[in-house]
Amino acid sequence: MPEEQVDLEGEVTRMDAAFGSGDGDEEATAVVAKSQASLGQIFEQTYRPWDGELGPRWMRNYAIFRHHVYGVFTSKGHRQYHPMVRLLILIIFLASLTPIPMLFLSSFIGDEGGFFEKMWGINRYNLWGQVLGYFPRNLCMWPLLTAVVVGGMISDDRQHGTSAIYFSRPISRLDYTSMKYLSVAIILGFVIIFSYFAYYTSAIVFKAEGWAYLADTLPLFLRGMLAGSILVITYTSIGLALSSISQSRFFAAIGFLSIIYGTKLVSLLIELQFGTTFMYAMSPYDCLAHTGQFLLGIPSNYEHPVSISVVSLMAMNSVSIWLLVSRVTSLEVTRE
Amino acid sequence: MIDDDSLSELPIITAKGLRKMYGPHLALDDINLEIPRGAVGILGPNGAGKSTLFKCLLGLITTTSGEGSVLGYDIRTQGEQIRSKIGYMPEYNALDPNLFAVDHVRYAGELLGMNPKNATQRAHEVLEYVGLKDQRYRKIETFSTGMLQATKLACALVHDPDILICDEPTNGLDQRAREFMLQTLNRTVREGKRSVLMSSHVMDDVQDLCDSIVMIHKGKIVIQSSIEDLVEQVDKEIEMVIWGGASKMEKELSSIGLETRRLGRVIRIKVENDSTINKALKAAVSAGVQVRQMKEYEPDLEDIFLLVMDKLGEQIKGTEDLMTVEHTGGD
Repeated sequence: MPEEQVDLEGEVTRMDAAFGSGDGDEEATAVVAKSQASLGQIFEQTYRPWDGELGPRWMRNYAIFRHHVYGVFTSKGHRQYHPMVRLLILIIFLASLTPIPMLFLSSFIGDEGGFFEKMWGINRYNLWGQVLGYFPRNLCMWPLLTAVVVGGMISDDRQHGTSAIYFSRPISRLDYTSMKYLSVAIILGFVIIFSYFAYYTSAIVFKAEGWAYLADTLPLFLRGMLAGSILVITYTSIGLALSSISQSRFFAAIGFLSIIYGTKLVSLLIELQFGTTFMYAMSPYDCLAHTGQFLLGIPSNYEHPVSISVVSLMAMNSVSIWLLVSRVTSLEVTRE
Repeated sequence: MIDDDSLSELPIITAKGLRKMYGPHLALDDINLEIPRGAVGILGPNGAGKSTLFKCLLGLITTTSGEGSVLGYDIRTQGEQIRSKIGYMPEYNALDPNLFAVDHVRYAGELLGMNPKNATQRAHEVLEYVGLKDQRYRKIETFSTGMLQATKLACALVHDPDILICDEPTNGLDQRAREFMLQTLNRTVREGKRSVLMSSHVMDDVQDLCDSIVMIHKGKIVIQSSIEDLVEQVDKEIEMVIWGGASKMEKELSSIGLETRRLGRVIRIKVENDSTINKALKAAVSAGVQVRQMKEYEPDLEDIFLLVMDKLGEQIKGTEDLMTVEHTGGD
């Protein structure tokens, strides 16, 4: 057969013609391009059922907690915190640990009772200052930390309508609110309380202190920790309340800073003008500082009784939590 | 609780005398429902009470009076169990734009109590199912409207729910995306044997997918029936396309006692008996008009909806009147 007469359509190929002579290739065929190729199906849609079991309430709550807290460490797969926010949290955390190298230096040079010991050693004033000192912690660090953490915590759900993915699932408003609250408190606590704990324990380690030292200072440490915990709770309450009333993370952040710095400034001006410290009862920071001074047994900077600051703190927390709860109650599932 | 296949004929959703009041405003009034398995369309104009009904069924709001159950769970006391068995696809945007699609769907699964490993695996499966396999690792903020809707559907399907509630699932979608969404929902019902409750203003969508409808108006159920039965209940009509004097023709038909509906050159005449066609043709001769086309008219869901709304005194010319920018995607 001449080459040009090979019948390609009939699946008789040149290979057949050449090798199809009783050597086992009689059935051999080759893929031959046809004039019209059929299109293959790339996407096959198949419904796949799932028969797994859904976990209990704590698993759902832990998922909310994990989503918000892990996001600080890695944005992959969890709530995204802006890289600058994460950097700021890291800087604040490292800054809050600055007394530790000073303690190390103090023990390294044998500065017993000297400048370093006085400035950074464990005593009532320094324990109070580690969490409640105005500069730099409550002027530059803790309010800023709170503002960036609470900023979009609930307001983002309002803005993006993501409250629907929570409340159309078996998650109650109580669970949602408490897990958001816990997430913020843990992040703040990690920086504020953990740095306080690290400061105290490193003092013991660097100076090789014994049980007697521990017995002397532990009650002070615990009181300071209580004061720090009250600070974390109060800042979380106020911050989350602000986050819940807005769709803007900027509003919540700037609102928080305004409350902390604004009330402090106004109270200071009133003190300078009228010579009374009573107005400090409206400043969250001063109420915390006053209560902390009482807890650690150091002389108070305020003329009014500590009970007023305590009551004021309770009122601030109550109002904030009431606002938070009522605003979360208003979050919609069907539309926002 | 309904788990046994032998109980599959039982209604999945029931309600008896359900009422919901927001202060003095009556949002749902004496709702009596029996929704069977399969695909059911929930229809009604804006503010009719569809969203309130969904919220009641999800156990999110307390009813003022009456009772109801979803898959055998009491809507007043067992909202948590109901929401574990239901997948809800909200009408409005409900996605975090900063997350990857796969992470969002996984998180949606974890919020139901799935462990992270299962939720991740399932997220991949459902994203493939809704056609987003290649977009799994894209941030949601880069998604088109169709992809956002598909992601919401994936979030709702992640735990393989018994009932899928879709609030306007084809909102803002172009023709191709709309067809794919309906095909996906259809497959979920026919292949996955799941039930779908869908609200929509697009009657074609409801007709394509659903076997039966529930129509709500001012908080009351006005129709609850299969689409097939409804079509049969509607009066038969013949449709004529008239040239050269449709108004004249309309008058002529009215004068011989025929009931008509006119849409420009198209006149639909109610078929009363076998002589109606002859009468209509004679009327055309008398009016001196051309009959360009004449055929038996088959009513669709849109017609039924408009007829019912007309009877209820609503001034709706077409379902487009019910749509907002969100429905049309701004087009």
